[in-house]
Amino acid sequence: VDHSHHTGTSHMADNSTTAPPHHHHHPTTSAHHSHGGGMDGMMMSMTFYFGFKNVELLFSGLVINTAGEMAGAFVAVFLLAMFYEGLKIARESLLRKSQVSIRYNSMPVPGPNGTILMETHKTVGQQMLSFPHLLQTVLHIIQVVISYFLMLIFMTYNGYLCIAVAAGAGTGYFLFSWKKAVVVDITEHCH
Amino acid sequence: SKMHFIFSNEVVLLFDFWNVHSPAGMALSVLVVLFLAVLYESIKVGKAKLLHQAVVSVSVLSSQQLTEETDQDSSASDSAPVSRARLRWFLCHFGQSLIHVVQVVIGYFMMLAVMSYNTWIFFGVILGSAVGYYLAYPLLSMV
Repeated sequence: VDHSHHTGTSHMADNSTTAPPHHHHHPTTSAHHSHGGGMDGMMMSMTFYFGFKNVELLFSGLVINTAGEMAGAFVAVFLLAMFYEGLKIARESLLRKSQVSIRYNSMPVPGPNGTILMETHKTVGQQMLSFPHLLQTVLHIIQVVISYFLMLIFMTYNGYLCIAVAAGAGTGYFLFSWKKAVVVDITEHCH
Repeated sequence: SKMHFIFSNEVVLLFDFWNVHSPAGMALSVLVVLFLAVLYESIKVGKAKLLHQAVVSVSVLSSQQLTEETDQDSSASDSAPVSRARLRWFLCHFGQSLIHVVQVVIGYFMMLAVMSYNTWIFFGVILGSAVGYYLAYPLLSMV
């Protein structure tokens, strides 16, 4: 299969790129996934389709060609979306836990009539070089990368993979938020 | 490939049947994506409020049952109210997860709509996000 027209890896001739990518030259081919956009040589589908033949996923060489491979990709994407939701919630709870440490600074301050008052400053947060903050930063980068991967997967417009993203997000939210909600309940309503 | 924002009355959005050729069709499409963006912002606020309400109502329910049981001094019949509260909590949470799926899907749809590189559609998404945020976020601080 000729991959030289794949978006982002080639420079197409000017006269073929000035036309809007969504121009339908072949309205009857909209049912076929490989020419969903209708543009000359454009391999990217611009509408949702269901198919498992010749589906390129994120990386070159990672091409789905059979139903079995699509099933495997579905499971992998599902787990990735679930992991993403779990990571979000894990970061939230990590942040809350590390912010439990509150610093009080008390300093004497001159008051009226020559008296001395104690002014107390309360600081909630993390220090820059503390382990929790560095860990949060690393987790943040992982979260950003996974969120972009999920976006790019959704951008393939492949119906199976998009459903895997949505279902994985919902399942991950359900499983991990369940735990978070119980923790929130205990810590925010002291009986 | 070179892609840039264009003003055009023609676009194919998300699905094969959403094929626009006319100004009227484009105006309608812009209204639809605008509504989607408003819905997206509202769902974000709605989810947070639902969670707050669920936590409050279930904790109130549990504490009420707790006082009832200690007043009656009975231990045999306390399994039913507790499981009722748990079931209610489970349903609340399952509903929240469904709403989360809707939010994720709408978010991706908006991203794909912007990816059409049609400037009118882009304006619709941005304006809808602005209107949705403006209307919905003040409701967060309301109890």
